[in-house]
Formats: sequence, structure tokens, C-alpha cells
Amino acid sequence: MATAFFERIRGVFARVPRRAYVAAALLVAVLFPVLNTFDVVQTAWIRVGVLSLLFVMLSLGLNIVMGETGLLNLGYIAFFAFGAYTTALLSSPKFGLQWPFIVLLVLSALIAMAAGFLIGLPTLRLRGDYLAIVTLAFGEIVRLTILNLQPLTNGPNGITGIYPPQPLGEAISKWLAGVGLPEAVTNWLVIDKPNEYYYLVLFCVGITAVLLSNLKNSRVGRAWNALREDELAAVSAGITASRAKLLSVVLSAGIAGFAGSLYAFYSNVISPESFIFMQSVIVVCMVVLGGMGSIPGVILGAIVLQALPQIIRESAGAARSEFEVYRMLIFGVIIVVMVIFRPEGLLPDKVWRREVHEEDPRELEMTRQSLFDLEEGEKDLEV
Amino acid sequence: MSLDHIVSVTIGGLTVGMIYALIALGYTMVYGVLKFINFAHGEVFTIGGYVAATTLFALGVKEGTSGPALAGALLAALVASVLAPVAVGFLIERIAYRPLRGRPRIIPLLSAIGVSIVMQQLIIIVFGPTPITMPTLPFATASVTIFGVEVRVLALVIIFGSLLLMGALTYLVRATRIGKAMRATSQDMEAAEMMGIDTNKTIAFTFVVGSALAGIGGLLVLMYYGSLKFDAGFLYGLKAFTGAVLGGIGNIPGAVVGALVLGMTETYGVSVDLGFLAWFVVAGLVLGLYVQMVRVPRRRLQHIAEDRRTPEYERSILNIYRLAPYYAVKTLLSERTDALLSVSAKHAVRLTLGNLFLVVTAAIMFANGSARIDTRWQPVIAFVVLMVILMFRPSGILGEHITEKV
Repeated sequence: MATAFFERIRGVFARVPRRAYVAAALLVAVLFPVLNTFDVVQTAWIRVGVLSLLFVMLSLGLNIVMGETGLLNLGYIAFFAFGAYTTALLSSPKFGLQWPFIVLLVLSALIAMAAGFLIGLPTLRLRGDYLAIVTLAFGEIVRLTILNLQPLTNGPNGITGIYPPQPLGEAISKWLAGVGLPEAVTNWLVIDKPNEYYYLVLFCVGITAVLLSNLKNSRVGRAWNALREDELAAVSAGITASRAKLLSVVLSAGIAGFAGSLYAFYSNVISPESFIFMQSVIVVCMVVLGGMGSIPGVILGAIVLQALPQIIRESAGAARSEFEVYRMLIFGVIIVVMVIFRPEGLLPDKVWRREVHEEDPRELEMTRQSLFDLEEGEKDLEV
Repeated sequence: MSLDHIVSVTIGGLTVGMIYALIALGYTMVYGVLKFINFAHGEVFTIGGYVAATTLFALGVKEGTSGPALAGALLAALVASVLAPVAVGFLIERIAYRPLRGRPRIIPLLSAIGVSIVMQQLIIIVFGPTPITMPTLPFATASVTIFGVEVRVLALVIIFGSLLLMGALTYLVRATRIGKAMRATSQDMEAAEMMGIDTNKTIAFTFVVGSALAGIGGLLVLMYYGSLKFDAGFLYGLKAFTGAVLGGIGNIPGAVVGALVLGMTETYGVSVDLGFLAWFVVAGLVLGLYVQMVRVPRRRLQHIAEDRRTPEYERSILNIYRLAPYYAVKTLLSERTDALLSVSAKHAVRLTLGNLFLVVTAAIMFANGSARIDTRWQPVIAFVVLMVILMFRPSGILGEHITEKV
């Protein structure tokens, strides 16, 4: 009875075209800061939104390695740190430099990619689980190096006073500001308000999501999925395993570096404590909760896990340190419970779901239906 | 660089290495049987230490407690530090790993990392976030003089106690029925099942033994350093795993050797002058040169067909290793058409680059002879060792003992 009811609800939701969901989600995302102008939500929530979007980007990047290729990266936040520190060093009073925004975004991504290449090259020839432990070690090396390399990174104090980004570059912005454009336009020359950051990050996340969903359906994406499913079969089908894996690790590192650069611009101050191991675990948890290999799932997972704790913290007003302990406990429990009971995540990817649930009756049904003719096959079996 | 200093550093390194070895055994046994990294093993180690401390405090051990009261309490702590980790290890395997057998590889790995996080937070919730500190016990601070060097009794207890445990483990794996079952399960689980081995029970037993060793390790660390923090298991676990990989994963003697090498490297790295450390680099270089000039060419020569084994050809293989850069250019210009020669040339170039790296490192170290590596960098040493071993010899010092089934 109850299952029939749920099946019916599921049917109602399944009938709505997928495009409608995407449009609705985009609409909500775009209109969210507008609520701030009418004082419906506080500015603090816009900040939560920006951070959530940054984590969406990180999860999208990690999803390439974890979801698509089936490798575990436990030091993902190190690549984020590479991006953040690259940006911070080249656009702050620390060395008196102010490189253009676009250059820094690209450079941060490139440096993180180089790091990913150096890590991936020796380890990806080996069994897959070595990557997990090497990236874990790498994450710690990076954090300890940042802490100990005082002259470059200021150690635990971090780098402060990162300049706000100017998307069009300093010279053009200065010239445009003098031309006499309306204020609504000139506001965007220097991005320094939460709303503006929100739209900047949203724009970047949107582009990343579109590119990645195209990549997922491309030759490269299918090669990754094949490696995840059965490496031996994939290799005999002509995929160069080490090259495809390296590409996935490097690409995901690049996205993390990109996100790190945005984070540095947004937060204005960066310090090593933002790049601890637990942050990597949180990103892993987001991907697992949302659904490995599923882009909408990963986005949902990141938003839920980044925004929910904030909402709970605001409403409960619990002591910060105590809350942190329970938050991590819950994240750990989520990982274990999800991989045991629903390894395909909240919004599953079809292929991955088939892989992990070979005994799922609903899936068997679907396979049978696709193998034989729909109803007739069933009848034949019954006779 | 006095001899006394070297002896005391060596004993310190051995002590740390033995503790790593106790933890590494758990990693390597589980990897040998199930082919997956049990990330939660480090937390099992922490639980051992915490439970031991709680038992000691509950039995009223204070500063200055001695005699039979202390001995009884220590015995109770030892029992507790075995039993609690055993229970935890058994439960973890049952709840978080067993339902996931046969799933894609990343799934149990994720479960392990989740369990590790849960346990770390549970330790904070149950025992509090402040590190536990032991009162100073006369037994823990006592020292004897060996070769004119003051050595803590506890260090000797750790070294010889661990050796005893490892001997017992070797006996268990080599000579008992359950040990045979463990070896069979690690070779081929299905075949072992067909031979009537209860693989579930065997795997559970593997976890139990590994957890017991890690628990004892926790107790020893607590006694030796006098304090333990809730996240100690993370770093100790990572280092122990490095030791296991260093010795060859799945290989029980390898885990001990690797852990000892790692413990020594770490201790020597931060407590000896760079000028002294440089001699180790030189020794590595000499060993490497011997392998490159003699062993590798000999192995290459074995691949040559009988009819081509002319003295000239054999000499040309040797020449490749002696004149690596020259032959590298020749290979790059594709003047080398012989497959074996071109592979050898590429290999020789890689080795030469490695040699150059070592020479430069040694030179830098000799130049800064009296400097030392700051203790802050100590954790980094282990990670660097891990990366280097995976780059140059991923099967470890003694080789891996796992069979990959297709």
C-alpha cells in the first residue's frame, strides 16, 4: 500500500521533464540574491550561498575522479589550496603585486593541474587505492608546508588583504569608471559585494557544470566510466588506462585550483586551517550523498551539506566547537550509511546505479524489459 | 657527531619503528586478505591507548604509584587495550565492510574513510577533545646504561615486546590451522571457500589480530610519550601504512622491515646533522650505481635470444648504462632501431637522472653540513618516503605478497 503510494508520487515527479527541474533550480539560484535587496534574506545567507556554490564547484571537480573514474582522492583540498595561495600571493599587499583577475584564475587552475600531474604520474600506474593514500599524504604535505614555510605564506597567520577582483582588468575598469556610465553598471567593474560575488561564482559554476556534463557524454567520459566498471575490459577495448586516469586527476585538480582562486578573492583572507584533511572528507561526503557520477546529484549534495549545517547552527545557536564535532560525526555516518544502503546517492547516475546494484529487482526488471519486448516478454515467461 | 648520540638516536628510531610495525601489521594483513586499505585502523590504535589510560585512572594510578598495585593496573590496562580494540575491529568489519564485499573497489574504501571519521569524533565525544596525559610513573621514566648511553627501560620493553609479538604472529600465520586458513583466503577467497574454509570467520579473525596489535601499540605510545591526542591515530596510521608499503604490502615480515626503516629515517632525519645524513645518500648512490652497472644489464642480457648473444651486443648493453646521455640522444634521434637497446637506453637515462638528483642532494647536504632539519618537518619526511617508494619501487623492499585475480 505504502510502496504503491510512493511509486505513484515517484511517477508524478518522473513525468515532469528534466529540463523543467534544471530551469527551476537555475531560477531559484538566480533570484536568491534579489531577495536580499528586498530584505527577505540577510546578507549572511548570501555568504552561505557563495560558499555553497564554491563547494558545488569542488564537488563537481572531485566527481570527475571519484564518480566518473572510480578513484578516490583524499587530498582534494590541497589542489584548492594551491589555487587559493597562487591567487593570494599574486594579488595582495604581501608582495605588492596585483595581477589581472582572469590571468590569476587561469594560472591558479594551471598550477593545481601541474600538482595533480606530479601526483598522478607515479601513482596511477599502480593499483587504484594507492591514489587514495598518496593524495591523503599529499594533502598533509601541502598543509604542513604552508604552515612551515613562513616567509612565503605567513604560516598559520595566513595571507590577508587580497584585492577584490576586476573582471575586465584594472586599466579598462579605471577608464570605464570615468566614462560616466550608470552606477548599476560601474558597480560590476570591481566585485566586492556579496551579491556580486554570488553572481560571479554562480556564472563560473554554471559554465563548469555545462562543460562537465558535455564531457561526461563524450569519448573521454565514456572511457572513464569504462575504466571504473572494468579496467581490464576497458584496456582491451583500446583505452590507455594511465592516460585517461591522469587526465581525470589533472582536470579535477584544475577545477579545484579554479575554485580556490575564486575562494581567495571572495574570502579576502586565507589561512592553512581552511585546507585541513576534514575539508577533503567533507567534499567526498558531498559527492557520496548526492550520487557519484551524477552532476545534479553532486550539486544537490554540496548545497545540502554546506547550507544545512549553517541553518542548524543559526537556529540552534549551539556552541561552535561542540557543533563541529557532531557535524563531522554526522558526515562520517552519512558516508557509511550511504555506501551501504544507497551507494548510488540521492539523485543517482543510471550507469553507476546499475553497477552497484546488480541485484536490485527494479534494475533487473529494466534490463529484462530492454532485452525482450515489453509486455509480451512478461507474458511468455508466465506461460 | 659523537657515538653516544648515534646509539641513542638509533634506539629511539627502533622504538618508534617498532610501534609503527605493530600498527603496520594490521594494515598489511587486511590488505593481503581483502585487498583494501582499512583507513579506520589508526583509530583502533587510538582507542587502545585511550582505553588503557581510562583503565589506569579507574584503578587509581597516580603519580608515585609503584609495586604490585602498579603491576596489577598495568596488566589490567594491557588486557583492556587488547579487548576494546578487538571488539571495535570486529564490529567495524561486521557492520561496515562485510556487506560491501564484491562491490566496486571505491565503495569499501569510502566506507573505511567514513568509519575512520565516525570513530575519531566518537573518541572526542566520549573522552573529550583534550589530550590525555599520564602521571609520571617511576617505571616509565627509569633508564639503564648501555654502551655508556642512557636508555629508557620502556624503549627496551617496546623493542623486545614487539619482537615477541611479531614472533607469535609469525607462528600463528605459519604454523596454525587458522593461519593456514588466512594464507589460503588471501591467495584465493573462492577456492578457499570450496576447500571448506569459513572465509568470513577467517577475515574477522584477521581484523581481530590486527586490532589487538594496534591496541597494544596504543598502550605503548601512551606509556612512552605520556600523552595521546584524539587524532593521533591519523598520523600514526598514515605512517604505519607507509611502512607497510615500504616493506611490500601484504607481506608480514615486509611490514616490520618497512616500519623500522621508516622509524629510523624519521628519527635520523631530524636529530642528526645534514653532513652525517649525506653519507646515507652517498651509500644509496653507491648501491644504486652497483645495481645499474651490474644487476640491471645482467637482467637485460637474459632477454636476448641465443643467436644474438655476441660479445659486441653484450658490450653495447653495458655501454648504454655507462654512457646513458649519449645513447639517450641516439634513441631520441631514432638511430636505435633495436627494441631492447632503445628500452635499455630510456631506462638508463631515467637511472642517470636519479643519480644526478642524489649527487645534487648529497652536495647540498654536505654544503650545509652542520644544519639540521627542523622537527616541524618530521611528518613530511614520512610522506616524502611514501611518494619516493611508490615512484621507484612500488612493490616495496621485500616485494608484495598479494595475488591479483582477473
